[in-house]
Amino acid sequence: MSESLIWWSVGVYVLVALTIAVLSRQGKAGSMSSYFLGDRQMNGFVSALSYSATTYSAFMMVGLAGLTYKGGVGALGFEIIYFAGVSLVAIFGPKFWAVGKTFGFVTPSEMLGHRYKSKPVAATVSIASCLFLIPYAAVQLSGVGYLMQGMTGGTIPFTTGLMVATVLAILFSYVAGIRSVMWTDSLQAILMIVVSTLVALLAISKLGGFSGLFHILETEHPQSLSVPGSGLFSFVTFLGLTIPWFFFALTNPQVSQRLFTPSSLKAMRQMLIGFLVFGFVYTLVSILWGFTALAAFPDLSNADMATPTLLASNLIPPGLGVLVMIGIMAAAVSTIDSIMLTLASMLSRDVYANVKPGTSEKRQLTVGKIVLPIIAILACGFAQLELNLIAVLSVAASSGLAVMVPAIIGAFYWRRGTAPGVLVSVIGAGLFVVYAYINGGKVLGIPAGIWGVPLSTLLFFGVSLLTKAPTAVADEFLKAANNPRKTAQPAISDNPAVKSA
Amino acid sequence: MKTSKWIWFVWLLVVLCYVVPYGFLSDLQTWYGSFLFWSLIGVLIIGANIFMTKNFEEH
Repeated sequence: MSESLIWWSVGVYVLVALTIAVLSRQGKAGSMSSYFLGDRQMNGFVSALSYSATTYSAFMMVGLAGLTYKGGVGALGFEIIYFAGVSLVAIFGPKFWAVGKTFGFVTPSEMLGHRYKSKPVAATVSIASCLFLIPYAAVQLSGVGYLMQGMTGGTIPFTTGLMVATVLAILFSYVAGIRSVMWTDSLQAILMIVVSTLVALLAISKLGGFSGLFHILETEHPQSLSVPGSGLFSFVTFLGLTIPWFFFALTNPQVSQRLFTPSSLKAMRQMLIGFLVFGFVYTLVSILWGFTALAAFPDLSNADMATPTLLASNLIPPGLGVLVMIGIMAAAVSTIDSIMLTLASMLSRDVYANVKPGTSEKRQLTVGKIVLPIIAILACGFAQLELNLIAVLSVAASSGLAVMVPAIIGAFYWRRGTAPGVLVSVIGAGLFVVYAYINGGKVLGIPAGIWGVPLSTLLFFGVSLLTKAPTAVADEFLKAANNPRKTAQPAISDNPAVKSA
Repeated sequence: MKTSKWIWFVWLLVVLCYVVPYGFLSDLQTWYGSFLFWSLIGVLIIGANIFMTKNFEEH
């Protein structure tokens, strides 16, 4: 594949995406909820595509295919358990949505700060999210770097791929905040699902169809079709990978913030079901890519090169390969810009505005826009480290965020939960997970991913029972959360005058 | 708003995702082993969510 073909394709993609980003602007987004939540008026179709593009990205097509290549069908089980975890949206989605509208929350950390009546809770959750999500964003950037390097045989170096993705992520989020992010996501999601499915079908047909592919796997790589298979997916490792990912929809603020954005519960339903259908197809396609690469190129030294090798091979027509490369790059960018946007909103609203009380909406927005590129540059720096198996690194981020599970579930189901309980559980269990990863990812032979949730639950319950709960705020919060249909009034923060009064 | 009973069906599927492939299918190294099992679970999850969110439409 020639370098000029790749650069021309990137150019066309940037032009189309930027046009869509500019067209998505609706008036002047002068408030936080307008810039970061699209005025809570996003429709179900765009929400579904954007939720998909934000969740699925370079990780799926590069990381998950790589994990399949290395460990076999266990990668499918891992992803299906995550997929089942998205059902949590059916339970928590209406609750997030209702309290968001009632109290004018812009960020999930702001919601927790209000519920536990504690600014340090909001600030701590925001900072912890940054600590874990910046590496996660870096994983997406690495995906682009590996991809462009692999497909051009090294002509476009890893670092150039990183830079291109970083600049695009900054551009897409700057144009119109969440609106430009969601509309460009939608374009990318459609491109991705159509072209990647085509690639999978083409590559598999060249290997003799599904029966041909599975015949090769059954005879030459039988271990790839069962667990624990070659050993990568031992039961304990599988548990360690899946537990944090099961809670992804609640613990990752770049997706949980999306529960504030739909215009109605009907739109939220469309978002959820649309995402599940998209995700199911995309998951199978990614797994089949990994299997196809294993059948066709069984001797790769780095499993993360499975997808780039497949795309650069003669199994795929060059024109289609470059389209998919653009699609994967676009999907990585769409994840990074969503993460940047969410983290920027959290840092400005829950850290800056809490340190400086009385900060206006306008000032918060300015701070958010300044923080955006700083986050991008940090992620880019982390990606430069070129860590080996990007899927596993990505899971480290999820293990870290999973320590927030008891605080989030407790907010809606346990009125006795307290701010000290949240702080001790998030900081204590968070530090423990970081310690575990620094020391090889295991403590007493058990993966960090298994430790995080039970440890933080224990700390949350224990400390909460020893301290005084903000029951009046909790009752008001739970009343709003449990009656989403009564939430008809406009959100408080949508009118800055009311907020500051 | 009542949480639908379908969520218990989802939790059951999640448990099966661990028990069946590791407990019963580890020697079945064909497409109709763990690959088919987890794929079917995926379809059932979509179905459960469709039922679980039916009352969202009444809003």
